[in-house]
Formats: sequence, C-alpha cells, structure tokens
Amino acid sequence: MSGRRILITGAGSYVGSSLAARLEREPWVEAIFAVDTRPPRLTFERTEVIDADIRSPVLGRLLPQIAVDTVVHNQIVRQPGPNMSPRKMHEINVIGTLQLLTACEKADSVRAIVIRGSAGIYGAEAGAPQFFTEEASRLYPPRTRFQRDVAEIENYFEAFARRHSRVVCTMLRYQPAIGPTVQTQITRFLSLPVVPTFLGFDPRLQFIHEEDAVAALVAAVQKPVRGAVNVAAPGTIGLTRMLRLLGKPTLPLVAPLFELFADQLARLRIANFSEDFRRLLRYGRGVDISRLCSELGYEPRYTTEEAVREFAATREGMSLVPSLRRLLAAVS
Amino acid sequence: MAERSDPRRRAKRSTGRSTTTRGTARTRRSPSGQAAPDHAAPGAGAKESFDERAVDADSGGERGERIAAIASALADLADAVRALPAAVLDALPDEVAAALRTGARRLAGEYSEDEWGRDPEFERAFEPLLDFLYERWWRVTVVGVERLPARGPVLLVANHAGFLPWDALMVKTAVRRAHPSPRTIRFLELDWAFATPWLSTLVRKLGGVPATPYNALRLLEEGGAVLAFPEGVRAAQRRFPERYRIQRFGRGGVVEIALRARATLVPVAVVGSEEAHPHIADVPWLGRLFGLPTLPVTPTFPLLGPLGLVPLPARWRIEFCRPLELERVGPDAAEDRAYVFEVSEKLRAALQESVYANLAARGPAFF
Repeated sequence: MSGRRILITGAGSYVGSSLAARLEREPWVEAIFAVDTRPPRLTFERTEVIDADIRSPVLGRLLPQIAVDTVVHNQIVRQPGPNMSPRKMHEINVIGTLQLLTACEKADSVRAIVIRGSAGIYGAEAGAPQFFTEEASRLYPPRTRFQRDVAEIENYFEAFARRHSRVVCTMLRYQPAIGPTVQTQITRFLSLPVVPTFLGFDPRLQFIHEEDAVAALVAAVQKPVRGAVNVAAPGTIGLTRMLRLLGKPTLPLVAPLFELFADQLARLRIANFSEDFRRLLRYGRGVDISRLCSELGYEPRYTTEEAVREFAATREGMSLVPSLRRLLAAVS
Repeated sequence: MAERSDPRRRAKRSTGRSTTTRGTARTRRSPSGQAAPDHAAPGAGAKESFDERAVDADSGGERGERIAAIASALADLADAVRALPAAVLDALPDEVAAALRTGARRLAGEYSEDEWGRDPEFERAFEPLLDFLYERWWRVTVVGVERLPARGPVLLVANHAGFLPWDALMVKTAVRRAHPSPRTIRFLELDWAFATPWLSTLVRKLGGVPATPYNALRLLEEGGAVLAFPEGVRAAQRRFPERYRIQRFGRGGVVEIALRARATLVPVAVVGSEEAHPHIADVPWLGRLFGLPTLPVTPTFPLLGPLGLVPLPARWRIEFCRPLELERVGPDAAEDRAYVFEVSEKLRAALQESVYANLAARGPAFF
C-alpha cells in the first residue's frame, strides 16, 4: 500500500509525537498531518502540524481538503489533571470523537480509522476474568465516568463501522503505558516518595512498554483490522512485587483513608489519580493479547515485568535516598 | 537488574579497594572540589569519581591530597558498613540466617509469581500449616487419588461448604501428599474472596482464581488441573440440617467448559467440610456490612470473635471418583445444551452418591 496519507489527533502527547516520528521514517507513508492544540514533543521533518481543537467542527472542513486515507485518533484523555476536569475529559473524549467521526463521514477518502482507546472499558473488578478477551467488554456495568465515556465512544464507533463498511475501523484497547519517557498515572504514582496502597490487596497489573505502545500503533496503521484489539504486554505483575522491585516505601491504607489521601494529593497538585486508576490499584486488570499477536501481527518486545524492571532501572539513579532494594541487596 | 559500570572506576587511584558490590552502582555527579555528602553504604561510587576529580583538580595539590585522604577514609567506612550485615548474618545460626536472607530477597521483590498470582515459595511456606490441618486437626483420609490423571487438562468437581476455601486447600494437600506424581491444582473461588482484604492476596498466592468461565477455560486450555465448586454461593447458604445435599449445578457452565476444553471430568467428594464450620443461622445485615451475601453463624463464630474462625476438628474423607465417561467432547458437544444438561445431571448424581457413601464410611464426625 504505497502513499498512505495519515492524520493523527492528539499529536502533542508522547505516543502521538512518537507515532508521527516513526511513520515519517516509513517508505509507505506519503504524508502525515498532526493535529492538536498542544505543540508536538518532537521536531518533525515532513509532518504538517495543524493547531486545531477536535471538539470544534474544524476537522469537518479540513479532512476533505487534505484527502487522508487513515485517521489515527490518539486524543482520548485518560488522566485528570489541574486543567483537566471530568467534564472537560468527557468533552474531549466523547464530543471530540463524535466530531471526528462526523468529519470522517463527510470525507470520502478515509479508508481506515484507528482509535487508541483504553482497556478501562473492561473495568477493574474483584471477580473478573484474569485476561479479558475482546468480546467480554460488557461483563460489568460501567462504574466510573471514564468507563462510561469509553463505552460510549466504542458504541459510536461500532455504529459507524456498521454504517460504513468500506472503512476499516480498529479499536485498540490499551493498558497503561510505562517507560522512561512517558508520563502516565502509573509513572506518576511510582514517582511518589511514599506510595499509598489499599490495605490487604495485591492486584495483578498489566502494562505496556512505551516503545511497544507506539510500535503496536504503527502496526495497526500499517495493517488495519476490523473490531477491537487489546494492546498490552504479556504477563502480569503484582502491585506489591512491583513496588518492592522499585524499592518504594508503601503506605497501606483502608479504602476510605486511601480516598482521602488521594484527594489530598490532588488538592496539593502533587498527583491526580482518577477513579479508574484507584480501582485498578485495588482489583487490577489483565487483558488477553492473542488477537494482537495473531491478527495484528505484533509481538510486544517487553513483558510486563521487563517493562517494570526497565522503568526501575531508569529511575534508580534519580533518587536521593538509597532505595530499600539496595540496602536489602547488601543483606541477601 | 541493571548493572551500571562506572567508567571512572577503571581509572581509580588512591582507593584501591575491590569494587565487587552487589546491586547497581550509581553514576552520580558530585560538585567539583567539595566533599560529597555521605549517603549511607552504597554511595561509594561517588567517592571514586569525586576522588579522581579532586586529584586532577587544578586548585593546589595539597588541599586535593587532604580531601582525597578524607574520601578514602569515608570509602573505607562505607565498606565496613556494607560488610556489617553479611558479618552479622554469618554469626547467626544457619536457619535464622537463611530465613533472614529469604526475607530480604522477598522484600527486594526477587521472588516469582506466575501470571495468575500463584507464588510457589509462599505455598511451600504454607505447607507446614496445611500438613498440620491434614494430619492432626482433620485427620484426612484420601481414597482413589491415583484416579487423577498426572497430565492433561482436568476439571475436578467437588461439593462445597462454608465460605472459606478449606476444602480446596485440603484437596490440594491430598494431591501433594498422596498422589504418585503430584501436580499443581488451581481452584476457582467466588468473587467475594477477592473483594476482601488479606483473603484475596492469600487465595491468589495459593493458586486460587476468580470463578468465571473465562478463567476456567483459559486454565484448562493451558493444560492445567482446575478444581471447581459448581454449587457456587448456594453451597455457602446451606444450613447444617441440609448438609451434604448437593444443590443444583446452575446452568451447567462447568460441564460446558470441560467439554469445550476436552478436559477429563473428575468428581471429588469431600466429607468433613460441613462440620468444620456448622452453619446454624444467618445474620444478613451484618454480612452485607462486610461485603458478604450473608454472615454465617456457627457455634463459635461470631460468638468468639475472630477465634471463631478456627475450624472445628471434624474427621475428613476425600474421595477422587472415577472420571466421568463422556461420549462426545469438543466445542460442538459444548454447544449442545441438552447434552450439557444431561452430563451435568450425571455428574451431580455421581457426586451425591459418592458423598453419601463416604459419609457412611467416615462414620461419626468428631470421634
């Protein structure tokens, strides 16, 4: 497939900018358009950067002009912040996606849409399957606002795919990304000097390394498949073990105190943990990646444990207090 | 673990001590010409880099020499501090030192857990307690354990009693102790256990997984042995007068999964679990407070408080029945709802018969 013309939304994020940079090097890509209100993280050679807000109908006017055949929607906001209220998140996620899909409807040239969604649609439940398969997305009622928003986005996307069968619609459900560069809730959580946990719980967590996150997106753009695909690293890791590998002092708290602590951290602008993330820290979540490996043809290079170890290795030189691990290494 | 080689180490001069440190060496930049702050034992890398820089510094050889001497003294002190724990450990008796080393290793996160959360080291540490319960407290008699295939997907189906997974643990212990070639048994547990603090961690580390068809199917497809309790929550709601009366098996989901995965179906009759926690009454509102469907009342609980959770020392008898003969297996058989119901009923009947037979064979519960 030569001469692909690709539009990327949310290009101001790490994954968006890295995706554009990676695609620039590919010979089968003719043109790349990066859309975001934020400036991109990297400098591009042949990518055209467009400053636009996807919540506005500007994309509807833009798409027919630039004649792209692939749209990568990377602007799903997963983490709240001081400038990112739940209402704004809802607007960007749901309204932004709706506007994008409307714009794609009007543009005849669009042949493939890839949305980088979240595995948060499965929720985080106590009695959940350890590895969610793609069809098990409706096992539990949505408990948080973000989960409802992602479910809504997927509904619209499915309806769009049914109405326009000539467009290949791929919904990628990403587990949280972890790595030296990317800034997600989990990396911020692991950067706290003292880490709060739920007393008595040791959830199974699954991540994806930041490099694999971008590479999987490139694979999805190169060979779009229809339907939902889970994107995560193989294997899981327990929260307790992960914190011990990182040498982090923990603060186990009962649920009400944890909520209090997390709310205080948000109030003090230290870190803002969404409800989904808090549930993840309590119950964990794993997804099955056989569809990623077989249909999309992408095998992640890092397992969850390897991704965590690499993250630990890069963080080790940055702390002032020698971590618990080094002291224990002297003993054992 | 990342091992960083400090290039400045190669050119070290005045310290001349060995650099075999376990763990990682940090590459830390220290401000030139000033004494680096002493950050406990592993900061020695800083001393060396600082050392060199001090010696190479332009500002007067004499001051540099003094600082170098202080640095080398600090490095020696750091060495001594680092060698201290090892020296203390060597002085202690072997078992204590080994236990402390294991503790330190586990605290550093260097233990293995599989993707479901099972921790083999933890299981082994739990074995003495389970052996005590098996041999002395419950005096378990096992019958027919060799009927459990040593390889291949196996779905063990047992009757359940109470809220706590004692029966699962006893079946696991029976296989470990009495089977000629023991294999790992994972068991399905209701989601209330995974929503309870402490119990969720414990159950997972011992090989328990949440009871959903997805988990059972995946485990069987991986070729494992899975212990399921098809009665589900209805078993826990059963009162003592109705003990050992097996409740209906629901929609036959357990059988469907076994057929789909082409697993061997082995009924396991467990006698003694009902008397461990005789369920005589219920307090629903108190149970809901703790996230349980209801709070069971036994002769000891909640009268004696947490002590009431200690199970009564009844005698147990576990029989592994002959694997169920299935005319058809595979995904097509699993789709045939009538066939699934038929097999489910056959399974339930076989299990009930075995439970009553073993009940008679065991005799009186406590003496």
